[in-house]
Amino acid sequence: MLKELFNILVFPGLLFLFIFGMAIEFVDRKLCARLQNRIGPPWYQPLADFIKLLGKEDVVPQESDVAVFKLGPVFALAAAATAFLYIPLWNKQALFSFSGDIIVVFYLLTIPTLVFFLGGWYSRSVFSMIGAVRTLTQFFAYEVPLFMCILSSSLLANTWSLSEMTVFYLAHPWCWLFTLPGFFIALIALLGKLEKVPFDIPEAETEIVAGAFTEYGGRFLAFLRTVLNMEMVVGSSLLAAVFLPFGFVHNAALSFMIFIAKILFITALIAVAHSVVARLRLNQMVSLCWRVFAPLAFLQVLISLVIKGFLVMR
Amino acid sequence: MAIIKKIINWGRIKSPWVLHFNTGACNACDIEIIASLTPRYDLERFGVLLKGTPRHADILLCSGPVTKQVECRLLRIYEQMAEPKFVIAVGSCASSGGVFGCCYNVEGGIDTVIPVSIYIPGCPVNPQALIDGLVKLLASLEGPSPCMKDSKARDDLPIGKP
Ligand code: SF4
Repeated sequence: MLKELFNILVFPGLLFLFIFGMAIEFVDRKLCARLQNRIGPPWYQPLADFIKLLGKEDVVPQESDVAVFKLGPVFALAAAATAFLYIPLWNKQALFSFSGDIIVVFYLLTIPTLVFFLGGWYSRSVFSMIGAVRTLTQFFAYEVPLFMCILSSSLLANTWSLSEMTVFYLAHPWCWLFTLPGFFIALIALLGKLEKVPFDIPEAETEIVAGAFTEYGGRFLAFLRTVLNMEMVVGSSLLAAVFLPFGFVHNAALSFMIFIAKILFITALIAVAHSVVARLRLNQMVSLCWRVFAPLAFLQVLISLVIKGFLVMR
Repeated sequence: MAIIKKIINWGRIKSPWVLHFNTGACNACDIEIIASLTPRYDLERFGVLLKGTPRHADILLCSGPVTKQVECRLLRIYEQMAEPKFVIAVGSCASSGGVFGCCYNVEGGIDTVIPVSIYIPGCPVNPQALIDGLVKLLASLEGPSPCMKDSKARDDLPIGKP
């Protein structure tokens, strides 16, 4: 009981996720700065931002729905942190798992997006409403390729549980190479989920102030930023668990290092992506996702099915 | 309690987010503000991020004299910022009205409307001067007498004034 509580709240649960998320935010910002030939923020920058936001006045707009406005960030935080518990990190086995947990992780990862929508909508400011609607529109675009790619991998493994998937890929090494195209599609879709630059349409600060977050400030903004950081860690560890299932060795420290390396690799890809491209328009993004990435994801599913047929015949 | 205050103050010094508002400048000061945010001068070294909304910002960078038309907008933006907030007057115009000082449509410097923490002279300001002013403001937060002006009581701000 006590051990489980420790696992959930401290390591590898909430506290670890919080600190790791900040570290990832720093790596992301620093890499981006270096790519632009800048010096970039110091290592404590995300922590300083967090503390500063906690110390600021909380402004709740008079028109807004106070309950949604205040409770939303907490719900989003809880959902992102819960999803993390079902993902195999450096052990073959996730902290908790049952058959079908992949669906639960999908649902839990959807909740923060929904909270951004609700928070933006109920702040009752024009900019945040536009941002909220854009969040939802974008959500319908990237969700299909993302989930299709992850499902193609689980089809190959013939299971609905992330932990069992890892066991399968360990038993059939190099099978993950066949889902590698899916990894890149899912990575691009993840950029949409994280609202990072080619897809930062919902919070495009040059057009609609700050999108759904326009009215948020102080503590609530600190929570929302933490949620985004956590989503980044959860999303990239989901991709790492599904598409890069290797390096689960017996030495715990070594496999922990391999896990960190995988996450850093994905973060680096994301940082490169959002420092070399510019923002798309919403209609461009939707048509890109539906016309290009969704068919490619279907192709990935087909490839997985064919490979699975070979495996069964053998 | 004191230690918590210290930690929050540390966060405040290390993470000043700015909002840029043109109150009627000739645009030269604005270009210099943008220049100091770009890779050449890289204000993110000090944790500065340019924010789009007053709710996220700690520091209001005002450039230009306050024209009669922009006065109530300036007040409104200032009011929308969450405490603690600071105002930097960027450029000679923002500090005193400058060359536009006696125009028929100009109120004067920023401090005729809202309390200002730091004045940065220059026409237009140099990015180095802007960075220097910012660092001085942040340094003053460490000391015993921070450049923190009391914002006026909310009721006597002439928000509805035409
Ligand atoms: S100080 Fe000079 S450069 Fe700046 S707004 Fe005034 S006239 Fe323009």
